[in-house]
Amino acid sequence: MTQDATGDAHAPRDPDAPVFDGPPLSLEEELAAARAEPEPGPDIATVNESLADGVNRCPRCGSTDVRLRGTTGMLICLFCRHEWQEARVEEELGLGEGIDDLRGTVIAGGAQDIAANTADVITLKCGGCGAEVVIDTAHAMNARCHWCRHTLNVNQQLPNGAVPDAVLPFHLTHDEAVEKIREFASKRRLFAHPRFKSEFVPENVLGVYLPYLVIDANAHARYDGVGEVQTRRWTEKSGDDTVTYYAADVFRVDRSVDFTVDDLTVEGSADRASMDGSTTNNIVNTILPFDTKNAVKWNASYLVGFTSEKRDRDVSDLGPVLEDQLLSIGRSQVEQSLAEFDRGVRWEREQLDVGGSRWVSMYLPVWLYSYYQEDTGMLHYIAVNARTGETMGSVPVSQWRLVLAALTVGTFLEGIAGALLVAWS
Amino acid sequence: MSALLDAVVLDVVVMASSDGPPVWLLAAGPAGAVATYWSLYRYYRNTDKSHAYERDTLIEAQPVQGGREKIDHISKTRKSGIDGKNSGNHRTRVQRVR
Repeated sequence: MTQDATGDAHAPRDPDAPVFDGPPLSLEEELAAARAEPEPGPDIATVNESLADGVNRCPRCGSTDVRLRGTTGMLICLFCRHEWQEARVEEELGLGEGIDDLRGTVIAGGAQDIAANTADVITLKCGGCGAEVVIDTAHAMNARCHWCRHTLNVNQQLPNGAVPDAVLPFHLTHDEAVEKIREFASKRRLFAHPRFKSEFVPENVLGVYLPYLVIDANAHARYDGVGEVQTRRWTEKSGDDTVTYYAADVFRVDRSVDFTVDDLTVEGSADRASMDGSTTNNIVNTILPFDTKNAVKWNASYLVGFTSEKRDRDVSDLGPVLEDQLLSIGRSQVEQSLAEFDRGVRWEREQLDVGGSRWVSMYLPVWLYSYYQEDTGMLHYIAVNARTGETMGSVPVSQWRLVLAALTVGTFLEGIAGALLVAWS
Repeated sequence: MSALLDAVVLDVVVMASSDGPPVWLLAAGPAGAVATYWSLYRYYRNTDKSHAYERDTLIEAQPVQGGREKIDHISKTRKSGIDGKNSGNHRTRVQRVR
């Protein structure tokens, strides 16, 4: 079994023809290349060596007809019914340990920078019959050989970031996801857009593995600001009204805290990370967190029957996102120490030192129902966390019904207010 | 309809110029309408939701360090809280010291 990464999967190529790899190098360049140190490997090696040939065989009978059994979270051979699972990366790679001692940025093999020349479309040579099968890795990590029915997987974890370190298998079944989505939408029928209601088919929900980076980190955060403590409160008469006045002491306040975070999860896809009002990506963000401690070593057989999305954000892109989230976490940690400032605290400066961080890329399972609203051009999602069952969604609304409801309530309240005023006068 | 509106406006003017009941009660209608619209809109669209990573992540923190120093005294103000209070808005960034 060989894996041939090429951008043009349709152009036939003579396998015996020499590969053109650029103009010949000068003697000095050849000698420099020969003396060069080998490129450093990833900080954490996560390659699943047992899958190096790209054909995931059942360990008992050798069949490649393998897929995830959602109810058990195990892989099952559809030929001999043998069930097994890959090892949890938490123990296998020692994740979750030594977060305090992390120094610098530690990056696992699958979280390396996405290589610029990593083509989406690759050609796999079937290990069973020799046929060439094309896979678009932007959407799938496996395909079935159309000649011999072997299942071919993208297993080769080259240090180019295209294949994640770990995968968290689907736990909720399709039927359970449909039920969750139906329940979510049924609570929001009255003011839903009539076209959404007529076209709502929750059975069309798709199981998709979305790329995330899971981060352990230790950090020191410091905040400086001003706080006020009330010393007196009194009222004074001003004409017919009474006015409340306050006196307060003003303090300069500083707080600092050292903390570790375990399995902070951020989006690995730029499309999903955009949270402005023009998308409903916040819906998918809301169903976090996942039980990432249960993620297992990469095996593309977990993806059979599901679609997947490719990671396109590197660790360097996400550094500012991590710092932003760590600053927020630090702020939430120091808040409980501010009770004495009963008039509140205004933070003015903040400082963060990230002692160390460890980055692992994972595929996390989401049941995703999407609805395109034509008149606004908005894509609405209802998403179900396929591990915890947490459901969140965006249901398009009927504006005129909302306005009618608002006017009805407003008129009713205005009537009560008018009646009170008349009775008073 | 316009006659009813005129009557309401006249009532407001009369009551505002007298020592009668609080006229601000009439704001209850518009305020209720706006609140109803936004609460329903947010219930359907969930535009305000996001992952609460400050709460839902495994965090181990050492004891918080820090202190305070009195720098001023406000002897009389009508404001019930500090200006620009942001200690509860964890995601609002302030000046970053490097």
